[in-house]
Amino acid sequence: MLSHALFSTTRLFISHEQGERFICLTNGPTPAVLGNSFAAPLHLQISMRFILSLFTVLLCLGSTAQRSFTVSGFVKDAASGEALIGANVFVKETMRGTATNVYGYYVLNLEPGTYTLAMSYIGYEDWTLTIEVSADQKINIDAVPKAILAKEFEVVGERTKDNTEGTQMGTVELDVQKLNTLPALLGEVDILKTIQFLPGVASNGEGNSGFYVRGGGPDQNLILLDEATVYNASHLFGFFSVFNADAVKNIELIKGGMPANYGGRISSVLDISMKDGNNKGFHGQGGIGLISSRLTLEGPIVKDRSSFIVSGRRTYIDVVTKPFINPESAFSGSGYYFYDLNAKANYRFTDKDRLFVSGYFGRDVFDFSGSNEGDPKFRIPWGNATLSARWNHVFGPKLFMNTTATYSDYSFAFQADQDQFAFELFSGIKDYGLKVDLSHYPNARHRLKYGGQYIYHIYTTSTVNVSSGDTDFNIDTPPKLHAHETALYVMDDFDITDELRINAGVRLTTFAHVGPFKLYELDENGRSTGTVDYSSGKPIASYAALEPRLSLRYRLRKGSVKASFNRGQQYVHLASFGSTPLPTDVWIPSSTNVRPQIGTQYAAGYFRDLMDGLFETSVEVYYKDFDNLIEYAEGAEPANNGNTNYDAQLVFGDGYSYGAELFVKKRLGKVNGWVGYTWSRTMRQFPDINQGREFPSRWDRRNDLSVVVAYEPNKRWSFGATFIYSTGQAVTLPLNRYFYEGRVVSEYTERNGYRMVPYHRLDLAATLHNKTTRVVTDPVTNETSEVARRWKSSWTFSVYNAYNRANPYFIYFDASGNPANNTFQVVAKQVSLFAILPSVTWNFQF
Amino acid sequence: MTAQRTILKGISLLATATLLLSCEKEITVDLPETEPRIVVEGTIEAGMPPIVILTRTQSYFAPTDLNSIAASFVTDATVTVNDGVTTHTLDRICSGELTEEQIELISSLTGLDVALLTNANICAWTKLTLLGIPGTSYQLNIQTEGKSLSASTTIPHPVQLDSLWFKLALQQPNDDSLGFIWARLSDPDTIGNGYRWLAKRINAGPDGSPKDDSFVAPFFSVFEDRFVNGLTFDFNFNRGSTPYSEADDDNNEESGYFKRGDTVVVKLVSLDLASYRFYNSFQNNVASQGDVFSNPANVVSNIQGGLGLWSGWGVNPVLDTVICQP
Repeated sequence: MLSHALFSTTRLFISHEQGERFICLTNGPTPAVLGNSFAAPLHLQISMRFILSLFTVLLCLGSTAQRSFTVSGFVKDAASGEALIGANVFVKETMRGTATNVYGYYVLNLEPGTYTLAMSYIGYEDWTLTIEVSADQKINIDAVPKAILAKEFEVVGERTKDNTEGTQMGTVELDVQKLNTLPALLGEVDILKTIQFLPGVASNGEGNSGFYVRGGGPDQNLILLDEATVYNASHLFGFFSVFNADAVKNIELIKGGMPANYGGRISSVLDISMKDGNNKGFHGQGGIGLISSRLTLEGPIVKDRSSFIVSGRRTYIDVVTKPFINPESAFSGSGYYFYDLNAKANYRFTDKDRLFVSGYFGRDVFDFSGSNEGDPKFRIPWGNATLSARWNHVFGPKLFMNTTATYSDYSFAFQADQDQFAFELFSGIKDYGLKVDLSHYPNARHRLKYGGQYIYHIYTTSTVNVSSGDTDFNIDTPPKLHAHETALYVMDDFDITDELRINAGVRLTTFAHVGPFKLYELDENGRSTGTVDYSSGKPIASYAALEPRLSLRYRLRKGSVKASFNRGQQYVHLASFGSTPLPTDVWIPSSTNVRPQIGTQYAAGYFRDLMDGLFETSVEVYYKDFDNLIEYAEGAEPANNGNTNYDAQLVFGDGYSYGAELFVKKRLGKVNGWVGYTWSRTMRQFPDINQGREFPSRWDRRNDLSVVVAYEPNKRWSFGATFIYSTGQAVTLPLNRYFYEGRVVSEYTERNGYRMVPYHRLDLAATLHNKTTRVVTDPVTNETSEVARRWKSSWTFSVYNAYNRANPYFIYFDASGNPANNTFQVVAKQVSLFAILPSVTWNFQF
Repeated sequence: MTAQRTILKGISLLATATLLLSCEKEITVDLPETEPRIVVEGTIEAGMPPIVILTRTQSYFAPTDLNSIAASFVTDATVTVNDGVTTHTLDRICSGELTEEQIELISSLTGLDVALLTNANICAWTKLTLLGIPGTSYQLNIQTEGKSLSASTTIPHPVQLDSLWFKLALQQPNDDSLGFIWARLSDPDTIGNGYRWLAKRINAGPDGSPKDDSFVAPFFSVFEDRFVNGLTFDFNFNRGSTPYSEADDDNNEESGYFKRGDTVVVKLVSLDLASYRFYNSFQNNVASQGDVFSNPANVVSNIQGGLGLWSGWGVNPVLDTVICQP
């Protein structure tokens, strides 16, 4: 808890006067105990004190006299009206500037004078305007997309100079529209799998879209879709992610130096923004692939003021295969499909107020029913729903507010019937949240953000229902768990000198598990001997933490160095019954026994642009420490969660990870892409696992190399290739066997003690675009001219695992034969999932 | 019981569907050698003498010929059982010393293959004068190869089934003869009762001898009263088969089913929780081999200083019999 004290022992005051800058640090009254848990009244007191000191900071800033004016506005795509995120707006004379926020809003503070205001954004024409600054001004910029197909094709569109200028480390933005030309498994463009190609991000085996950032678990990634949390981001055992790329505008991944405006997860933030919809005209896009089809429609509701977008995707393996399945076969009544629906609408009331409403709904459904009367029937539906309503308000040029109400739901159900038996298993989580974020631009050197968040969580931590005929088994209606989570934060991104910029912030978080709740009292065998009932709202366990976040950039003559420290506390945990993420994984809140996960990360790096920004390079090192991780005990079963406490089958431990990451990216040109390399080590230690000895985590990878290349020789063709190499996955194998009642039993000794062979794979893709223009002959003058086609289409041919490497998916030992007649034998078998797998997808746009 | 089976089946079906594209190959895996451990397979059933068989763990890829397998059986040990009053030293019986008839008897008692007993010298420890009594605790001590092992178990009071019947499974087209055995059980109102279900067909098979030589426990035939404490409820079980069975009806469409006309004796064993946990984890361990989605888990033993189980079985003196007629 030591570092909690970092920002609590000194209060930070910043003053700024007439070119003179100083920082005032005063020893304020120190909150005595900022440990993990204390009673509610105490943390209320601390919150109050925190709010007061927050205001003191703001007053300190606000009171400084400024002889400067603001230039602010929104940057939008001139053709679609879509807000542009991360566009550079700067003053040409000084080359100083800013980037637009997630709503396309920017603010510059300028002293009186004449300037050339410029805007640049990849894929758009450069824009400049000469302005005379003598008062606050509002300038909205309509960015014009470059002619039909940009000559320079970029895999990743990002802010120029941000690599060396910003304080952020380990942050990557991806432009989703460019992902279409990269190879994809079965032609399904997948955001999460592209993220796995970045250094510091590991995958969990073949075809899996789960991602593991710098040694952190899958539950430690905050995945936000338009600011609503997505709890389970994958379909079908993780083979596909839930994000339909057609509906997504922008993706930002933060794997280190998490700023204070994000919290609740300790490893990374994946912030996904959905498209707003074209407010100029009606358009659509879609595609037909091997396993799914997609359709997106967008257009204005009120031109220039309001727009909508609706996007859907559904797989059709079930529809396609059904006619070919023999009605008498065991699989005749089976089917599997998933679908995703995204919808969003926005309305601009005035230049100062804008409302966005967006939602996502997706489901996986697996059905099985045999063709015979006595066959069992299964139905396994699971999926996410999110809803967010956001209101942007510009108070004045210096203050931008965003208020968001969110709803998230993840649920899993397993229903089975056979004869007179019925069996059900449920789990899930529901969140209701409210969040206010303010961006404050007091002067040219400070970019402040502050705000607060409240989430009401309802957890269903895996429950079973069994009945046999008229007999309902004695399974209590499981307690749903209720919790309040709050956060308050303040952060300042400011330039101390021209060379040194720091981003300092604190986040105060609280979490309270409250009634109604039923606590089981257990005997030494774990059997319930009675219960203690907590009434609605009664506190059961509460926690609070002050999370310091600090990152700094020091500009060198060539490139810059950056360092960051951050500490976060996480009040939700994911426990998995399997060795790979499954929809049965259960989200579990912190409470009396399940203490909050604590993540502490130290990182440093050197960043440099080469050849006038053509290449962007970086080297980063990190060390990360994890406390209070959870796992299910060896042999835990979902059914055993009935009639006992939800944490009865859990065990607790710690972990750490360290590593180095190298990244070289070629941004522009006909050939572009990146190479990422990671060297890392990720370990776990649990007193009740592996006899208390340290063991490697499943996503521990010593070496991880990825290469992404795009090549666009001309306007009709584009090519993409990706290559990945990683150290073999750690797996648990039995060392010994013995016979019991004549059957072969395995004895496991070392958790994750064996390595499968290294994983490597090359994927290729080629995209053929139809002609984007057609020749029109004027009937009167007979002159010919080229006109842009409204309808555009392309074919993407892609090959997964191009050199047909048999990558290991898992290993198992197979014992067969009868020892008594000397036919017994044991062999090790390696199962590979995807051999060379070609696919074709047809995409269209109008 | 049913729940466990159902989840496994559902998940594995879904897994099978996704693994249709997969392929597999044999590989060589280098595993480190570790010191062998002693495995105890010991039971004391109400009204029956104790039987203890001792084996050693072997490296997973140790030779698999009959001699090597036979060498994993321990032949030299001192085994004692204390019933709270007296310490009884168990007698060693080895298959090498037995007649063919005695081997068949041992086979039906232990479930060990007749061929294995005939071709290798397999030893067991017993005391024919020591018969299990429900409610009594038995302390087992073993000295072998410089190791000391111990365990304690109590024979629970047996629970009588309310009724037994046969019902068609209707899982194959136009089938009117294959089915499962159903039972009604009233669980006593004390938490912590474990059960194991075994069944034996005593009607004659094609060769004129009874269809089953010994009681067979189908997979997932162990359950406890966590969710059924004090309830009267119905349940069913499919027909189990002995490991490596070469019988026709274990290798054709009758596999797993009882058949119209079978006469079936059911042995419902009452277990303490340690025994329940062992059998449950044992089944899961055997069933999850080759399952990518399960977390590997060792069998939960009650033996100090070794592996395996020393288990008291509460069984009624008279077993229930059902004739398969729908």
